[in-house]
Amino acid sequence: MEKQLEDLKAIREMMEKSSKFLSLSGLSGILAGLTATACAAFAYLYLLRDPSATDYSRPQVILILLTTAFIVLSLSIGFGIFFSWKKARKMNQRLFNKVTMKTLYNLCIPLITGGILSLIFIYRGEIEIVAAITLIFYGLALINASRYTFDEIHYLGITEVILGIAAAIFLYNGIIFWTIGFGICHIIYGAIMYKKYDLK
Amino acid sequence: MATIIANLNKAFESRIRLGIMSILMVNDSADFGTIKELLELTDGNLASHIKALEGLEYIKCTKQFIGRKPNTNFSITDLGRQCFKDHLNALESLIR
Repeated sequence: MEKQLEDLKAIREMMEKSSKFLSLSGLSGILAGLTATACAAFAYLYLLRDPSATDYSRPQVILILLTTAFIVLSLSIGFGIFFSWKKARKMNQRLFNKVTMKTLYNLCIPLITGGILSLIFIYRGEIEIVAAITLIFYGLALINASRYTFDEIHYLGITEVILGIAAAIFLYNGIIFWTIGFGICHIIYGAIMYKKYDLK
Repeated sequence: MATIIANLNKAFESRIRLGIMSILMVNDSADFGTIKELLELTDGNLASHIKALEGLEYIKCTKQFIGRKPNTNFSITDLGRQCFKDHLNALESLIR
């Protein structure tokens, strides 16, 4: 009886371990969220709150926003890789195996599509819609990749898509939804995942 | 009870074989190195269990070259899938 139970547990564990990317750390979510919140606060206070108060022209504002967004993206990816690498090492596994590649591949298809689409809209001067596009495509990317990782990622993806649609409806408050989606949601989900999977 | 125990497949008594079958149930294929790493085994130990499962035609292997390095990929056969499912069902009914 005892052996059968243990057998079933081992089977379950091996199925998960071999097919899912489990090195994802909640800490990277928390830090990415904090970075996004800080940068969104900067963008809002210095540029968007009162456009007439800044000396910058619209192209300059767009350039600063793009640079800020790029910093958020780089730091988030950096945190993601660093903490996943640490967690993989703790679990005695290589970070870049076949499952990691599959996860990344599935994440990147919607993500890069959304990124290119955003750049096209920015190029055309329609920057207001970009918050909605980034949220929606990021959400779809998470939903797509969640098959290969923790279930929480699936729900985070759905949350982002809903926020993205809201951002498209309330077009001129995009920054608020962007901050909730990329900042607060990451902190909340990151904390939940950290507590559930990392503190074991 | 006796009939349920009879349904347990002797080939899956070892935890290592369970591990190999579990990996191949959820992945289309896996190479030798990946399985070795996941189960934390030595080459020889894994090879003997793989040979046994291959002999029963529960798994099959395809050899190919990646560049110049030979690479052996394993996947589960229809027979293996069915037998493993039966074994799982037997395990579950035992603990119920």
